Amino acid sequence: MVIEFKVNGKQVSVDAPPDITLLDLLRDYLNLTGSKEGCAVGECGACAVIMDGRLMNSCLVLAPQAAGSEIITIEGIHAPDGGPSDLQQNFIDYGAVQCGICIPGMIMAGEALLMRHAQPTRAEIRNALAGNLCRCTGYQQIVDAIEATAKGRQKAI
Amino acid sequence: MSHFTNPLEYVGQPARRVDALEKVTGRAKYIADYKVPGMLHARCLRSTLPHARIVRLDPTPALQVPGVRAVITSDDFVNHGLYGFPVKDKYMLAWQKVRYVGEPIAAVAADSPQAALAGAQAIVCELEPLPALFDPERALDPDAPQVGPDRSDGRHPNLKSDHMLVCKGNAEAELADCPIVLDRRYFTDWQEHAYIEPEGVLAMPTPEGGIVVYAPNQSPFINQGNLAMTLGLPPNLVRVIQPTVGGSFGGKDDIIYESSAQAAKLALITGRPVRMVFSREESLIASYKRDAMHMRIRLGADPDGTLRACWFRGILDSGAYASETPFTAWRASIHAMGAYRYRACDVDVYCVYTNNGYAGAFRGFGNPEVCFAVEQTVDELADLLGMDPIDLRLKNCLRLGDETAHGQVLNESVGLVECLTTARRLSDWDRKRAEYSRQNGAEKRRGIGVAAMYHGMSLGAEGADNASGTISILPDYSVDLTSGLTDYGTGSRTVYTLIAAEELGVRPERIRIQRPDTNTAIDSGPTVASRTTVVGGNAMRAAARNLRHTLDLAAADLLKCDPQQLIRVGESYIGPDEEAVSWEKIVDHAREMGLILSAHGKWSAPKIEWDHHHGRGTPYMAYVYGAQIAEVEVDMRTGNVQVLHLWAVHDIGKTIFPQGAYGQLYGGITQGLGYALTEQINYRDGYIQETNFESYLIPTSVDVPEITGQFVEAPYSYGPYGAKNIAEPSLVPTAPAVANAIAHATGRRIRELPMNLERVLLGHDLQPAGSKKPVEAGLAIAPR
Repeated sequence: MVIEFKVNGKQVSVDAPPDITLLDLLRDYLNLTGSKEGCAVGECGACAVIMDGRLMNSCLVLAPQAAGSEIITIEGIHAPDGGPSDLQQNFIDYGAVQCGICIPGMIMAGEALLMRHAQPTRAEIRNALAGNLCRCTGYQQIVDAIEATAKGRQKAI
Repeated sequence: MSHFTNPLEYVGQPARRVDALEKVTGRAKYIADYKVPGMLHARCLRSTLPHARIVRLDPTPALQVPGVRAVITSDDFVNHGLYGFPVKDKYMLAWQKVRYVGEPIAAVAADSPQAALAGAQAIVCELEPLPALFDPERALDPDAPQVGPDRSDGRHPNLKSDHMLVCKGNAEAELADCPIVLDRRYFTDWQEHAYIEPEGVLAMPTPEGGIVVYAPNQSPFINQGNLAMTLGLPPNLVRVIQPTVGGSFGGKDDIIYESSAQAAKLALITGRPVRMVFSREESLIASYKRDAMHMRIRLGADPDGTLRACWFRGILDSGAYASETPFTAWRASIHAMGAYRYRACDVDVYCVYTNNGYAGAFRGFGNPEVCFAVEQTVDELADLLGMDPIDLRLKNCLRLGDETAHGQVLNESVGLVECLTTARRLSDWDRKRAEYSRQNGAEKRRGIGVAAMYHGMSLGAEGADNASGTISILPDYSVDLTSGLTDYGTGSRTVYTLIAAEELGVRPERIRIQRPDTNTAIDSGPTVASRTTVVGGNAMRAAARNLRHTLDLAAADLLKCDPQQLIRVGESYIGPDEEAVSWEKIVDHAREMGLILSAHGKWSAPKIEWDHHHGRGTPYMAYVYGAQIAEVEVDMRTGNVQVLHLWAVHDIGKTIFPQGAYGQLYGGITQGLGYALTEQINYRDGYIQETNFESYLIPTSVDVPEITGQFVEAPYSYGPYGAKNIAEPSLVPTAPAVANAIAHATGRRIRELPMNLERVLLGHDLQPAGSKKPVEAGLAIAPR
């Protein structure tokens, strides 16, 4: 079936089977491999995308459900000049990255939080990341990076 | 030793991970992200019985399934694909018998993952059940079902390793003479590595009849050796390249070698690229784990808290195949008595075969298991004597000049006292310990507990311990590094970059480090045992120094002076005429002189001796030390344990990449918290019950408290700039620190891991339950 939606600001039209997930659609049909499959049951968050402003595990969304929606993936997160966004730069600067497989999902979770909550506490940041598993970092430097981004954006206003 | 006095420009200074940008943008390619034209998808048929004879195996029906291109069994490998180190006991695909649920029997390559699964399901495989062995304490009974291979030396075939001994004095006599003796049993459970990237490989045939394998393994050269041996190819036709690895923690050795061989054989048969990617379920069912360990410890002391004797017995249940567990058993034996002085010590640890999955390397490698036992027993002794647990540890812990239980005199780099006292101060231990000791009856009770540890550096007496690095200057004046040791998220590529920058006197941004490739890197042994910084770092340092020597000669020639007269300011060279000459000009001049701008460096660890028969010697060149303090709140109605804060102070020698070292510390502690509280593998009659993250519970961001970390830098003279290591030791003391905090809060000693709700609340397990269903459902899921 043909599925039409907007991804990273671009309207796309994809002919794909109706029984695949949004994650498969992104990875296999649009070659957007930044979203990862870690569990395929919505436990790990490595596949997280922002769908109509909400953080979603794309492995739990059937591809046809994406029709008409607006989706942001990790490939759509960057600074206006194409370089890393402030959040991505803070992930680098605060040492939030080790093996990196969970990081696209973490960035999406961080962005989704900051979209609705400009000044989260560390506890609120931890709550917002509770659906994203990381096995390397112990989360602390990820929380640092999101906290620093929130502060940076407050200053910029 | 000028490097301890000269200020360091890059080593120990703030730095960024060299591969962070590609990871935060989603551009880093992991194995599941690779797609090449004509690529097939591979899938294994796996055993659904814990122990059985393969009475009939007909793979041909798989070839009738649309889309299936090839199917293989053990018959397709040389010597049926027998491999393994230190024990050759496993086959790339099962031969004649299966010994655990999930063992691969055949592999299929097809146009799609769905067709590959259908092909695997079409294979005719008749299994005749054999009596199975699940209890490691019964493994050596004369009538126990035989799981291990036949052996000719008359010893029990289920004995997987020798008895690993540490012997000092006469421990029985010393214990008999001790006024206070504690005799305790402990159990630590299996632990899954739970790297967020499941296993996968991509194999591509080459026009010359060879194979290139992209494998997220820890040790590409071991993989290459196994591939050459089991495929019957000369090693120079087998190339293993490591792509970005999504976590490993010891877990991507054997299982990846096996997948590599399967995919490679299918690729050679079909002439097409073959990718095999596991689902999470397949990963949990098929991959090896941390061993489960059954322990008994007897600790003898004087009433003043002086430790006198330690007697320790440990059995590692390491399942159906050896993998690296004989080495795990050895490391467990060396650390079983903890970081303390004793007059007498008697340790005996071994591992056995069972039909409970199989165990292999996992961060800590035996030490987290034994540390859980000894650190609780020491704590209990403090309780019994009415002593402060830190005071008791300070009274007995290893210090500079002490002799260990093995007979090794520690003549440098022993920072444990400082770790303990710093953690005590940072955590406000004395106030909290007193305050929480006065609680009673509350529904939620707080406690604070400590654990100490030491951990032998690198391989020790396990084997040859050396590494190589190469460095060269490219035409664009960038600097290229290669190492045979791998970075699976640990940060070693950044460590090597900083070391090379320091030695060459160039900015790290100028340096690029290759991913390991058996065609270009030099075999540097396995990437295990937290050895990359010290062994690989020294090699990289030597390589950079050799290149620097060449450049200094060129600079001296250009500036018409002795090399000793040269000064560096930033990257530039300054000679006697005090004019700065750019590094590029020096490089150009070196080329004009005909000098070769590449270099190699090699480093071998100091020689050590271990007498396995007498349990005496020098097991490791040196040790790292650490102390962790956990503060917990226990809900007395549910048994829930919330860790409120954790303080960790570790002596890791000189820190080379501080941000990365802290990341290792926090991450290791987090794995330790999962090990302590939630991570449980239940093999019910050999069937794992936890097949995804909804039942195998690794810590989330809300389970992990804020962690206060600090490093004590007791320099080690053989380490690069005095560095030691951090990767594994970070998780070793976490579980016992939490256990001791729980005991402080509740008065209850939990002697089994994980310390789940029922063990904390009731003091025992609930009725065991479980079935084959999770495995059967898990193996029916098509991977992507």
